Amino acid sequence: MTTTAVGPRGSGAAVARETGARLAKAEPLNAVLDWSQELLDAEGARVDRMAAPGPLAAVPVVLKDNIVTVEQPTTCASRILEGYLSPYNATVVDRLRAAGAIIAAKSNLDEFAMGSSTEHSAFGRVMHPLDPSRVPGGSSGGSAALVAAGVVPAALGSETGGSVRQPASFCGVVGVKPSYGRVSRYGLVAFGSSLDCVSTFGRTVDDAARVLSAISGPDPLDATTVDRPALRVPTLLPDLSGLTFGLPREYFPTDLDAGVASALRRTADRVRELGGKVREVSLPNSAYAVPTYYIIAPAEAAANLARYDGVRYGRRQVGREGDIRALYRTTRGEGFGDEVRRRILVGTYVLSAGYYDAYYRKAQRVRALIAEDFRRVFDGGIDLLLTPTTPTPAFKAGEKTEDPVAMYLADVFVCPMSLAALPALSLPVGRSEGLPVGAQLVAPYFEEERMLAAARVLEQNLDAGGEVR
Amino acid sequence: MSIGLDEVLHVAKLAELAVREDELRRLVEQMNRIVDYVATLDEVPADRMAEPFLAGPQSVTLREDVEATVPLARLPAAIAPEFVGGFFLVPRHGAMEDQ
Repeated sequence: MTTTAVGPRGSGAAVARETGARLAKAEPLNAVLDWSQELLDAEGARVDRMAAPGPLAAVPVVLKDNIVTVEQPTTCASRILEGYLSPYNATVVDRLRAAGAIIAAKSNLDEFAMGSSTEHSAFGRVMHPLDPSRVPGGSSGGSAALVAAGVVPAALGSETGGSVRQPASFCGVVGVKPSYGRVSRYGLVAFGSSLDCVSTFGRTVDDAARVLSAISGPDPLDATTVDRPALRVPTLLPDLSGLTFGLPREYFPTDLDAGVASALRRTADRVRELGGKVREVSLPNSAYAVPTYYIIAPAEAAANLARYDGVRYGRRQVGREGDIRALYRTTRGEGFGDEVRRRILVGTYVLSAGYYDAYYRKAQRVRALIAEDFRRVFDGGIDLLLTPTTPTPAFKAGEKTEDPVAMYLADVFVCPMSLAALPALSLPVGRSEGLPVGAQLVAPYFEEERMLAAARVLEQNLDAGGEVR
Repeated sequence: MSIGLDEVLHVAKLAELAVREDELRRLVEQMNRIVDYVATLDEVPADRMAEPFLAGPQSVTLREDVEATVPLARLPAAIAPEFVGGFFLVPRHGAMEDQ
């Protein structure tokens, strides 16, 4: 039985002190890029002065450091933005504060959210909270590790191609990616603008859902938000009767890790025991999701990151030649890390004359096929899809850093939903040799409430801490 | 598809990105590895292609085209020390050569 952590708490001042003590203790994880007791105390006092405590009254929430804040620097874990102070808060920050949350810290990430292990941070890698020799996943690894370590009950991350669900699975917490357009991107540092989503972590489904509810809804400052009311937190259903779950065969390959396969079998069995129906389905074009993603996302990144030129933001490095172009090149060459530079180069290459049609245009068309697969399955009577979140549990640090493609394949089960703009979540469903395993639920566009309600039932009826092998 | 050294240097120039000589060989290898991998999309038959995907709402709601207060938490003068008459002062282009 899991109980919610986001609910009535002590005074803001007391929560701020407790959170500060936990953040100090969690320092060895290297999951935090900026926090101070002074700012925490100010946040606690602000909440205590609120006339009407909101739904997140005195709940400490960590923000991934690609979400801009006025009071704390926003670095995106990059030297190029070291010390950068935003002149405005992201919409999600204003909404969290209006709901009574305490902004606790800014968390470490893969530089500019590009990575699947949080090893590509300019400020050092984040440790897995259960085994420091392993990675917490990424790119939102700092937020995931802090929730898993019990430092905060909930955190914000961001998804472009699975960067919340994958670390949630590795760390054994809940990670929810909303539909594209459900949450404002205003103040989320842009990486892949057609894919980026602010997403939430929680110790429980209810925690992640409550935070998502507080930040969701249309925003006049982001024209891509959809004009629908904020998400409602679903109530607990008695069982799963009336729901049909699809198991896409392409997500259960023969070489799937044995522990992950076993955990997913057990989850599907529990769905049946709880009154749900389970049917095998097919999403054939998901096989092309990773190559599609690694054309579209770098292309959008190359355009979005052009603004970091040493003139408009952050660090400036004057080139030897002394002209303005040398300033741009030297600033960018020295300010960005290896993975970001690789993606900018790939993105520039696929957008360049002669290659645009062969790569970028083609990827956009395959993206439509991937989305069409999901639409066909949901139109065919499937309410939710059930898949593994990741092909393996958390891998060792350094295991994939030399082979970028091997690293990209860690996201093979999570990036199709990002391409299709669909809501999805990762739920801890067991442990394999001590390491958490996540199951993924996927819903039709803007059907988050159905997905969260089903996840709550499973959460109440699965032993997420139990060994599956 | 094989990307050579000259092509990587050309792309780096387009991207305004300085590349160190000692990292070039590795970068060429990794670019080739990535581009070869994403070229697996060639397996998708052309007749199965759909119209490009549009994420999000089908019609984007644009706000009224009226001047509004900029939602800055601090005034521009507090962000940039050299802010005069509504303009940010930056070093003159020629001044770079003295640095």
